[in-house]
Amino acid sequence: MNRVEHVMGFPVSLRIDDEGGGSRMGETADALFAWLREVDARFSPFRPDSEVCRYDRGELRLPQLSADLTEVLDLCEQYRIATGGAFDVRLPGRPLDPCAVVKGWSVQRAAELLAAAGARRFILNAGGDVVVSGGPWRVGVRHPEHADQLCTVLELTDGAVATSARYERGDHIVDGRTGRPATGLLSLSVVAASLTEADATATAAFAMGPEGVDWAAARPGCEVFAVDAERRVRRTAGFPVATVAA
Amino acid sequence: MKRVIPVLVLSVAGLIPVWRYEPSIGTTTSSTSTATPEVVSTPTPTATSSSSSSSSTPSTSSKKVVQGTAINTSKGTVQVQVTFEGDKISSVSMLQQPDHPQTTAAVPVLIEETLKAQSSKIDTVSGATITSDAYVQSLQAAIDAKGA
Repeated sequence: MNRVEHVMGFPVSLRIDDEGGGSRMGETADALFAWLREVDARFSPFRPDSEVCRYDRGELRLPQLSADLTEVLDLCEQYRIATGGAFDVRLPGRPLDPCAVVKGWSVQRAAELLAAAGARRFILNAGGDVVVSGGPWRVGVRHPEHADQLCTVLELTDGAVATSARYERGDHIVDGRTGRPATGLLSLSVVAASLTEADATATAAFAMGPEGVDWAAARPGCEVFAVDAERRVRRTAGFPVATVAA
Repeated sequence: MKRVIPVLVLSVAGLIPVWRYEPSIGTTTSSTSTATPEVVSTPTPTATSSSSSSSSTPSTSSKKVVQGTAINTSKGTVQVQVTFEGDKISSVSMLQQPDHPQTTAAVPVLIEETLKAQSSKIDTVSGATITSDAYVQSLQAAIDAKGA
């Protein structure tokens, strides 16, 4: 089964390869996309009536927040501290924007919905952030300078990979320590057990710049593939590069 | 403790799948069965780091002709020549080819395998968050369209 829907401004592609359970998998897919639309409504910094915006305007106080938003904000704070402030969802003069954590966190939870419904072999790709199950699957990483080409292919059985770069949305990742866009890397991908970890780590490391490569590599359970501004590739020894010939 | 290891210079055209020949003279066996893996050398980026300087040559997407290892088989010597456009294989030809019906028939298979691997089958694409507008022209859209 293949489905593509657009949620939160990006495409979400779902592929489920399990045999049988056809209509039930259709219902599961419906539930998955409904969850992502709910996340958009609740956590978007671009919707004035979202919980995030209401909290940011002071209409909600910390104890009044949902358990979900509390969890997201806790994660944001953990990454802010771990990066020495390079990753910061509260930049001066800007509205609260926890998108970088919300995306990975919500898509990981969507993948858990699938697993709970009995799906074993699937690929969930949310605008370039990927969760897979029951592989081996071959995941290409987009080349940072050529949209139609890949810079590596990795093989993943169960787990997640997220990539941060500037080519799609320009200099949108800001180094919170300087307030300026992070430009030290062209692209950085993180493989981890969950997309919550992979996505937040990739964004946070990208915000840090070249030193973020070592920082991400030192995080438990994370494997890293990075292309710096001089187009040098650095990766951890455990990054699961696919063998070319099967 | 994990260490990040430098792998290679990703030149403008430094792409995967990275297929490279290491020009050298094969000294290997005389059995035809080993001919295929010998001729198709398939270093991944990992291997490139330890191999020759070819990866750090500033490659524009110009043409590059590389000769493969000459391999002695029981039917005679086999050697191929590969032309790269950037890092893509644009053509494969035989430099040395035994005049024997069996190997002549086997040769096209060898070439086909090389080109097939170049197109490296993938199931999905990871990249920076893509907008719905940009998605239309993306590799992932092509994969989705094929699977639908």
